[in-house]
Amino acid sequence: MKGLHGIIFSYKQRSDLRELGEVRCPSSVPFGGRYRAVDFALSNLVNAGVKDVGVVTHGRYQSLLDHLGTGKDWDLSRKRGGLHILPPFNEQSGWSASPFRGKIEALASVRSYLDTIRQDHIALMDGDLVVNLPLGEIFEEHLRTGADVTIVCGNDSFATEDGTYFELDGQRRVREVLFHLHTPRGYRGLEVYILSTQFLKDLVDECTGKDQFSWRRDVLQARKDELYLHAYVWDGFAAQIRSVREYYDRSMQLLDPAIREELFTLRHPIRAKGTDKSSTYIGAEGRCVNSLIADGCRIEGTVENSILFPGVTVEAGAVVRGCVLFKEAAVRRGAELAYIIADKNVEVLSGRTLMGHAAYPIVLAKDSIV
Amino acid sequence: MKKECIAMLLAGGQGSRLYVLTGDMAKPAVPFGGKYRIIDFPLSNCSNSGIDTVGVLTQYRPLELNSYIGSGQPWDLDGSTGGVHILPPYMGSSGGTWYKGTANAIYQNIGFIDLYDPEYVVILSGDHIYKMDYSDMVRRHKEAGAACTISVMEVPWAEAPRFGIMSVDGEDMITEFAEKPKEPKSNLASMGIYVFSWQTLRRYLTEDEADPHSDNDFGKNVIPAMLQSGERMAAYRFAGYWKDVGTLESLWDANMDMLSPESGLDLLDEAWPIYARSVNAPPAFLADTARVTHSAINRGSVFLGTVENSVISPGVTVGEGARVSYSVVLPGTVIESGAVVEYAILGEGCRIGANAQVGCAPQGADPDTWGLTVLAPGCPVADGRTIPAGTMLDRSGEEVTK
Repeated sequence: MKGLHGIIFSYKQRSDLRELGEVRCPSSVPFGGRYRAVDFALSNLVNAGVKDVGVVTHGRYQSLLDHLGTGKDWDLSRKRGGLHILPPFNEQSGWSASPFRGKIEALASVRSYLDTIRQDHIALMDGDLVVNLPLGEIFEEHLRTGADVTIVCGNDSFATEDGTYFELDGQRRVREVLFHLHTPRGYRGLEVYILSTQFLKDLVDECTGKDQFSWRRDVLQARKDELYLHAYVWDGFAAQIRSVREYYDRSMQLLDPAIREELFTLRHPIRAKGTDKSSTYIGAEGRCVNSLIADGCRIEGTVENSILFPGVTVEAGAVVRGCVLFKEAAVRRGAELAYIIADKNVEVLSGRTLMGHAAYPIVLAKDSIV
Repeated sequence: MKKECIAMLLAGGQGSRLYVLTGDMAKPAVPFGGKYRIIDFPLSNCSNSGIDTVGVLTQYRPLELNSYIGSGQPWDLDGSTGGVHILPPYMGSSGGTWYKGTANAIYQNIGFIDLYDPEYVVILSGDHIYKMDYSDMVRRHKEAGAACTISVMEVPWAEAPRFGIMSVDGEDMITEFAEKPKEPKSNLASMGIYVFSWQTLRRYLTEDEADPHSDNDFGKNVIPAMLQSGERMAAYRFAGYWKDVGTLESLWDANMDMLSPESGLDLLDEAWPIYARSVNAPPAFLADTARVTHSAINRGSVFLGTVENSVISPGVTVGEGARVSYSVVLPGTVIESGAVVEYAILGEGCRIGANAQVGCAPQGADPDTWGLTVLAPGCPVADGRTIPAGTMLDRSGEEVTK
């Protein structure tokens, strides 16, 4: 049938995420006060009318499974199709033990799933991409241009960990595919690709037969001249959550109303799992400015330039500046935090002081007590 | 499917004492406490008490309530053998009528209850804010060997004449019931929550229906009839927070209680969660100019101005230099810059123009005319307009009287 199928890659482990990546894959890193990174890819797909989505995972996926559930928060819990979670099941020697070396290998490991796809086109996305893309429009452009692969790029050469970059000609046709650059140039790839289902299956089979595993090296780079690789350039906000530094900088950008307006536009809302929390309460002595505050927080102290996830407690006399505090974190009486990313259930005891720097925020691992 | 216990929730109230605030909604659909609606309390209590089958009796303006309840999933009431069922009045082969009273509403749904063949039926009302474990009340009912158990709470003697008052013996069995007595003999007030042994209730409902002079009401007819016939009637004492939010003042009070856990209404306590169908929106944003104190706030809201002692629902905007105090602001309302809102309840989706003044504090006002200012859902207030304390405006911004 005509239409778009979604595949979200969620298998990469990123050591630069430090403690944030120890307990989860990048796709399930909490972001923006109530979301997980994968919510953005899922919402982008669903908002473009996609009904079926497969999520390819490999390791540390307990947190992701817990978050996705049956997919009902994205209307993907369906009788036919809907959400499919795809751990490596098409095992060949050693695949289950070591992470996939590339997207082709990841797809080969779920090869039989590809045969069940009903739609004639596929959108490949990474689960660590935070963006609100008009995927429906991009799909239309893909059909209109007749490209073999449409590649979505950000309108910048921003250095992202392990990024892919594209040099384009005047017609936005890809002329060069680059990665492992010391100084990035060209357009930053958002790892969003649209191509036909049959073509993808052919590529996977052919590459597997040659022991090729890398999508960007063995397909895009190797065949850039024989294939029509067309770029769609996205001008808006697009964050790839691959390092603590990038995580922090991108989080703080959400305090800009223009960026929030674009990323969370009500026209294509980002859907997330609900939390059964009460309203947030800000106390009589509480002071909370230039901050994003999720539900169920209790703020009796000072919070500035920060992002608080649901159920965070900031007790009287505590000061929180430039921090990102995950779900249920507690900052006790008189404690002071600056430039800290505190993972779930972190507790900072009374009177403690912790200072990071905007250029090097300190991460407090999940469940730790300071 | 046999069930030991199911619940029937009377949600048909018009909410006429909430006047303009209900708009096109039934009373139980009125937002409460920022992210909730009143009906979230009994539904969550059922879910937390292990009751997985709930009938919701609706008849006035049910659209918003029906779409809010939906499949019952937010309250975990979408199980395959029970779940939440909306029960409007319906036509049978011999005709049909509106629900004439609370007892008649249950009578008309005897067929629904018989489907589950329960031992016990819990009767709840849709306009109370409280957290209660109904399974504990059912245990009391069983232990007392009662036909009917009524939950009661002690109220100040001075307020007793406003309630249905129970007199009890040494074992807390009910000996006498008086509806709004001028000279109360007890200060145990009925909370409007009943547990009945179903077969006994079924018999009394049938008899009550056959009496053409009956109002078909639990408090007025069925309970007194059962007492008169010598049925065992137990009282179940409840000591926690409970408030009937059937009036604008009590609705405002209960919202303010939420801000002070000392009141007994602690919604941050997760041991007994209250569930709600929540809207999808990013977290609340407080700008550099925001000053929010002793207030409850919710997702999707943006604060540039001052908020104090107020309960703010999701999706509300408070503009720069605006001030909201001692007020309850329902979802999606916009308060433009420089506007002042005091001692008011603003319905859903109101727009308060720049520099308008809505309501005022009781200090310095004429105590005879002072009251809460209440705006209907969608009510526009023009820039600079002053709405005096105690005024109610309808959805077009016209003043209405109680």
